[in-house]
Formats: sequence, C-alpha cells, structure tokens
Amino acid sequence: MKLTKYLPWVAGLLALVATLVLALPSAPVRGFDLNAFGGLPVLEGGRVKPLNSIARNSLLVIRSQQSFRFEGRTIQPDEWLADLLFRPQVADRQPVFVINDPDVLGLIGLQQTADRYFSFETIIPHIDAIERQAQAAHAIEAPKRDRFQNAIENLYSRLLLYHRLRNSIQLADSPGLALELAQMGNPEIAARQESMIQLAFFRPLPPLAGQGQDAWKNTGEAMRARSMGMLHPGLGLVAQIGGAYAIGDAQRFNQAVTDLRGQHLALQPGAQHQADSELRFNRAQPFYAGMVIYVLALLTLFTSWAWKRELLQPTAFALLLAGSVVHTIGLASRIILQGRPPVTNLYSSAVFVGWGAVILGIVLERIYRKGFGTAVAAAAGFGSLIVAHHLAADGDTMEMMRAVLDSNFWLATHVVAITIGYSGTFLAGAIAIGYTLRKQIVGESDPETTKALSGMAFGVICFALLFSFVGTVLGGIWADQSWGRFWGWDPKENGALLIVLWNAIILHARLAGYVRDRGIMAMAIFGNIITSLSWFGVNMLGVGLHSYGFMDKAFWALSGFIASQLILMALCLAPPMFWKRVLPAK
Amino acid sequence: MNLPTSLSQLGRRIWTTLASLQLTITCLALLIALVFLCTIAQVEMGTLGAVNTYMRSWIVWWAPKGYAFQVPVFPGGALVGFVLTLNLIVALIVRFTFSWKKAGLWIVHLGLILLVAGEFVSGSMQVEHRMIIREGETVNFLESYRDTELVIRDVSDPGYENVFTVPAARLAKGGVIPLKGSPLSVKVARYYKNSAMGPLAPEDHAPLATRGVGATVKVTELQVESAENKMNQTAALVEPMAGGQSYGVWLVSTMLGAPQSFIHEGRTYILSMRIQRQYLPYSLSLKKFRHDVYPGTDIPKNFSSLVQLQNPTRGEDREVLIYMNQPLRYQGRTFYQSGFEGDTITILQVVQNPGWLLPYISCVLVTIGLLLHFILSLRRSMARRSA
Repeated sequence: MKLTKYLPWVAGLLALVATLVLALPSAPVRGFDLNAFGGLPVLEGGRVKPLNSIARNSLLVIRSQQSFRFEGRTIQPDEWLADLLFRPQVADRQPVFVINDPDVLGLIGLQQTADRYFSFETIIPHIDAIERQAQAAHAIEAPKRDRFQNAIENLYSRLLLYHRLRNSIQLADSPGLALELAQMGNPEIAARQESMIQLAFFRPLPPLAGQGQDAWKNTGEAMRARSMGMLHPGLGLVAQIGGAYAIGDAQRFNQAVTDLRGQHLALQPGAQHQADSELRFNRAQPFYAGMVIYVLALLTLFTSWAWKRELLQPTAFALLLAGSVVHTIGLASRIILQGRPPVTNLYSSAVFVGWGAVILGIVLERIYRKGFGTAVAAAAGFGSLIVAHHLAADGDTMEMMRAVLDSNFWLATHVVAITIGYSGTFLAGAIAIGYTLRKQIVGESDPETTKALSGMAFGVICFALLFSFVGTVLGGIWADQSWGRFWGWDPKENGALLIVLWNAIILHARLAGYVRDRGIMAMAIFGNIITSLSWFGVNMLGVGLHSYGFMDKAFWALSGFIASQLILMALCLAPPMFWKRVLPAK
Repeated sequence: MNLPTSLSQLGRRIWTTLASLQLTITCLALLIALVFLCTIAQVEMGTLGAVNTYMRSWIVWWAPKGYAFQVPVFPGGALVGFVLTLNLIVALIVRFTFSWKKAGLWIVHLGLILLVAGEFVSGSMQVEHRMIIREGETVNFLESYRDTELVIRDVSDPGYENVFTVPAARLAKGGVIPLKGSPLSVKVARYYKNSAMGPLAPEDHAPLATRGVGATVKVTELQVESAENKMNQTAALVEPMAGGQSYGVWLVSTMLGAPQSFIHEGRTYILSMRIQRQYLPYSLSLKKFRHDVYPGTDIPKNFSSLVQLQNPTRGEDREVLIYMNQPLRYQGRTFYQSGFEGDTITILQVVQNPGWLLPYISCVLVTIGLLLHFILSLRRSMARRSA
C-alpha cells in the first residue's frame, strides 16, 4: 500500500537524479583535463562561448553526432578538438565526415557501404574535384540546387570548417606555436601570421585592460601585435597548452590550462563565468535528458493501460513532471545564457513548442485525470525535442540575432505567442490522434472518456486560436514598426494566418453543428499538417523576409509527417469498429 | 404566386444566406486555399506578383499555356474578403442580442471587421517609396520602387531648371502628350515596360530612333518582371514636338546615363528616363550612417541613420535617429531603415498608409474580446464543474 503511494514520486526523483549525475564533469582523458580545456572562453560567431561549444557544434555539423568511436575508444568533442588543433595528424585519421550521397561518394572514388563515415585523410586527395563541383553548385540559387549539388556544397562547407578549425591556433603544418614564437624575426613567419589571421575560426585571446569588449584576438593577430611590441600574456600559455598536448605531457597541459583560466578570471571574469555556465549547460544536455524521460513516461503510461493502472498512471505523470522540470530548467538556462526570450530561431522554437504542449498537457491531466493528458504531453514533448535535436545539426543554436530581429520585446511577445499557438494546435492534434487510436484499436468503451477527450480538444483549439491570432497580429505590428507594412503576405505570415483560419473554421463548423466529435477530431489532425507546413514548410520555399530558418533537408521528414497525418485522418473518419471487424473475435 | 412575394422571398433567402455560418465557413475555406496558393506561387512570381494575382484581385485568372485568353478559375482574395466582411456584418445585424455570454465574441468580430477594412485600405491606398541619401547630402524627394518617368529638363537658365515629367504609365497609353507649362508636346512612338539594349547588327531593321544614342542601338522587349528584387528596365521612343516641328525620335531608357538634348527656340532641353520621383515640402540630410556587425562575423548587429529633418514651412530643424524597429513618423509618412549601400549611403523605405492605425485598434479590440470571452467561459465551466 505504501509502495503504491510513493513509487510515482520515487520514479520522478530518480529521473531527476540521473539527469544530475550525467551533468557531472567527465574524468580526465589520458591524464589531460579536457574538461577544463573545454571550458576556456573564446569569441566566435559574435559571442563568447566555451571551446566545448565550438567542439560540440562543429562535430555535430561535420559528423551529425557529438561523439564517435575511434580505435576502440569513444572520442568526446573536447578531445577531438584538442587533437584537431594540436595533433592534426591524429585527427585527420578519425572518421568524422558523414557522407550519405552516393554521387558524392562516387566523386571521391568510394562505394556506398554500411560505413558512412570518412576521415579527412581519405577525402583530401579528391579536394580539387570537390572544390570544382562545389563552386559550380554554389553558382546556382539555393532553392534550385538538386540533391547532388546540395550534398557537394554541404561537404565542401564542412571541409572548410574543418580546415579552419585545424588552423585556428597554429597552422596545421606548424612545428608548434612555441617554436614559431621563438623565431619571430623570420620573414617567413610573418607570411604565416597572415594565413593564421585569415583561417582562424575562433579567437581565444580576450581583450586586455582598456580594450573594448569585442577586441578578442586570434593567435595570428596576437603574433602580429607582438611583432609591434604588444605581447598578449595569454599567447605563451596557449602555445604551452598546444606544445604539451602534442608531446603528451598531461601535467604541463593541465597547469597551462589552469593558468590561462586564472588569466581569464583576472582579465575578463564575465567571459569566463559565461563560458562556465554554458559548459555546464552543454554537459547536462537537458533537452536530451528530457526527451529520454518523456519516452519513459510514455512507455509507463502505455503499460498502465494493460497492467496495474492505479500504480503506473501516477508514475507516468510523475515522470512527465520530472521531464518537464528538466525541460523547463533547460529552457530557463538558455534564456539566461543568451539574455533573450525563449524563441530566437527554428531550433529554440521546437524546444518551446514542446514545452508549451507539455505544460498544457499537464494542466489537462490535472483537470481530467484520465491519463490522456500525460500521453499527449509526453508524446508532444518527445516529438518536438526530437525535431529540435535534428535542427541542432546546423551548428550553434545560440547564434546572434540579426539586426532586424534584435528586439527582445517583440521576440518575447509575437514569437512566444505564435509558438504557443503552434503548441496548442499540435496538442489538439495529438489529442485527436489519441482519440482515433483509442476508438479504432481499443474500441470505444467509455463514453465519458470520449466526452472528456472532445472537451479537451475543443478547449485546446480555442486556446490555440487565441494565441495564434494574437501572435499573428502582434507580428503584423512588429512588421509595421520595422518594415513599414502591417501585412505583406510573406510566406511565414501566411503560414500563421493559415493556422488562425483553420482553427476558426473548426470552431465555426462546430458552432453550426456541421461536425461532431469525430469531425472535430479529424479537423484537429489536419491542424497538425497546417501547423507543420507553417512552421517548417514555408522555410523550404526560401522566399520572403522570414527566411532566416531556411532548410531543405527536412523536406522528406515533413512529407512523411503529412502522409502519416492524412492516414490518421482517414482512420479517424473511417466507421468506428473498422479495425474490430478485421481482428479475430476473442 | 405573385411577383412581389417571390421577390421578397428571394430577398429573404439572400439575406439568410448572407448571414449564414455556411457562408462563413465556405469563405474561410476559400481563403485558406488562396493563402496557400499565394504562398506557393511566390517562388515563381515573387511576392508582389503572387499577392496581386491571388489576394488583391477579385477573380483569379488563368491563362492556358500558349493561348492569349484568360479564364476565371477561382474567386480572388478581395472578393472573398469582401463577402466574408459582408457576411460578418449581416450576421452581426441579424443575430445581435446583447448578453454577457456573447459580449466577448461581438467585440472580437467587430475587431475582425476593422482588420479586414485595414487590409482593404492598405491594399488600395498604401504607397511605398524609398529615399536614398549619401552621407552629407540633403534629399527632398522620394523615389518609387518600380515606377519610372520621362523627364524633360529645360536647363537654359543658370541657377534653376524647369522640369517636366510624364509618368511611364501615361507613356504606356501612347499618343501625343502635351507638357503643361512648356511649348512642347511628346509623341510616344513605342513603349517598353521592360527591355534590353544591345549593339545593332547589320541584319537588324533600322532602329525607330532617329536621333541620339537610340539611332545606333537595338532595343528588345523583355517579359515584365514582378519579383521584388528584379528591376524592369523601362524604355520608350519619344518624339518631342513644338509648334508643328518635330525634333526627331529619341530613345530614353533607365539604362541610359549620358544626357541627350535638343534645342528649341534657343532653349536647351535634356531628355531622360528615370525612377519616378515625388518632391516633399521638407528634406532629410544624412549626418551619419552606421552599420555594425557582430565581431568576427558578417551578421548585422545594427543599422542606423542619423538625419537632420528640415521643414522650412513649419520652421522645423531637428535631428532624428532612424534605426531598426524605430522609424520616423512624419506628416503621414513613415521612414524606415531598410538598407544601405557601402558605408555611406542609406536607403530608407517611406510608406504612406492612411489606414496604418486600423490594425492596432483591431488588435486591441480582438484581444479584449477574446480575453473577455475566455474568462467568461472559464467562469461558466468552473461553475458547472463545482455544481
């Protein structure tokens, strides 16, 4: 009896504790404190971030994964970056380039096999052919490129990123930064400095006292400054870090990293603290953890329908709550780290849509207590975090805002309202899918639950209409303030309008009595299609002022989603007992 | 059945149809289809072209490939919007009964009428121009984005010019156009909305132009561009005439920079085709243009133009900083930071929209209405649940 009372809470707490454990710093690798190395702040993409973010995001862009196996060990991003910077001969053998396109593989003389990952060493002999093809593809407008052109262009840009990273602190063929610093008078070194300045992907040396906030320098620039008599105190330490790593001297490496950190704390304490916070956030991976907890909640709930309902349904809800706590902390951390409202790009919109749906689902569950709120909330949270996970493959998810979007007020009102509207429409769709599956697979047993479900769906649609309408109009006002027109029929605006119109149709059709429960549910599923088109589809068109979130890879994913929703609609509209008749009688 | 009864029956039927929810749903569904088509079409036609075809038209026309005629295939956005508004107004009249239960919804729908009205006003009355100013320069005119005009300047007097203009739209109609205030009139021999110029080959027909550059180049007509980022190169062959005397046929084009002139009764006239201008009773001088990027990137961080606004008619002379999301609203026009060229030239978008306030009012009304309705429904459902 006691157990049944406490098990849900224990399960929820366990999930939270597991998340915390995963967020702890990792052990040194071969004696090197790479964790501290990854926490060093650098300036890249217009903002200060830890080296760990550079390593993670770059590896994600190049390999689509944040770690990989090499010679029997799992290589984490920090180690990969350290190798790439200071032991390029090792990094170049690691299979970090993912290539899926058969034509691109053909171009570099490889056949499509199960192994899709290749090392820089394997690819580089074909760089001329790749470069030629990529340049040809580049000349074509992005929306008009075919699959091969996109793939080759993409591979080329990843090679370029790799090349820049590889030459960020010292040139890849360098005998070591320390040695180069010792030969400063040499005219050859001056020419090398220029290449370093051009190639460096990030700037590891913070502004000195009296310099502006943005005056971060890369090592090439610091070397040039030194030849003019201004020695950056960090330059020697960076050289020591590299030298020690290259020869495998872990003790000196760790000491130099500690010294450099001490120097940052003295020169730019804010930057070091910012990097530390972001490092913690990176390690914790709250959205990944949240995704796992949501799946657990969902599985627990499914089990509850077959077994020990009284025990497992509250457990599922407790897990959902734990997931939402992790999700919320992740969201709040992003807001604090970025100093921005929650939604700033496509990635963060996915995170926020999921969050909104989860919170709404929790509210529904508290009102109706049927387990359905938990189911749709966990499914929506999981689904949107998966989407976010895939969107993160484009690189830094906390990039700086373009001038036109740089308005915390409008980001906080228009964007948040629109995104909550997406959450609501998706949640209504999820409820409708739940209704459909229940009706067709389980068979209708309990009219009260059906009534509760249609009540939920209707309430959520009203909620979604409220937020999408207010969000759309606020967007119009923002557009009027910044572009000079309230409404421009831009694809993204049209997408938002479609959601508003569709939800309005559902409500009016219900009011007029043209549709009942089943019709509303089918329409709510169609709302999923409209929302997904508005959210992602319009970005694929590549026109308009909102095309900041352009993407083409997701085309097939979106088509698949739409097809699945159409099938579900058909199922929803099919006569009840449709499946029952097919199933053999018990 | 006598006629008056059947007429009144018909009237009543139309009236009920106009007030019906069926009509609302049909219109909303049509609108969804139109918005969807308009969005897809933007890839091919550009935003402006798609909006004009689908949203700002009464009927959507379709021309079968290779045929000159067009067939109406779908009601246009303007028609659907109009019917929807009518439907809303009639429904409000027919069904209006005041009760708290419905109050929120009435306010919402009133706001919606204003919103649609606002779009009609902007669609028909909004005028967009731009103003391009170089640092240190003072500009007192607006430029059109797409429209061009024929300009004939009398430059005979030192110190000032007499400027005569003919909008391209007037040239398109052809015929003889008298220039008010001058002894001249212009006969339009040919008009090209969009054109290309090239060298004259030996096998080509002799050009229509008899004087100036036009006599040595070949002009070909091009398809009209409707995409925003593509300019039409407008050209025309015009024949200035005065007192029964012709001064030859001249080619004018937005592509031609060198001045072409003729002399009539001792006065020198320069002919050119340029972007249409509109002069203002006030001027803006660009004191400083700033364009910052985030360090180490090309992501724009901030654009701003510091301008001096001078209006002698009102004795105004003040500094204004125009930047992203912070336009200058002045005498019915709004000046936005929209772009730049190099480090010293700012491009301001200038919009005149008498209906700009309507969406704001509508937004407030709808928000109040929805909130009111939401709160009232919540209270009712709470009451039901606790009962």
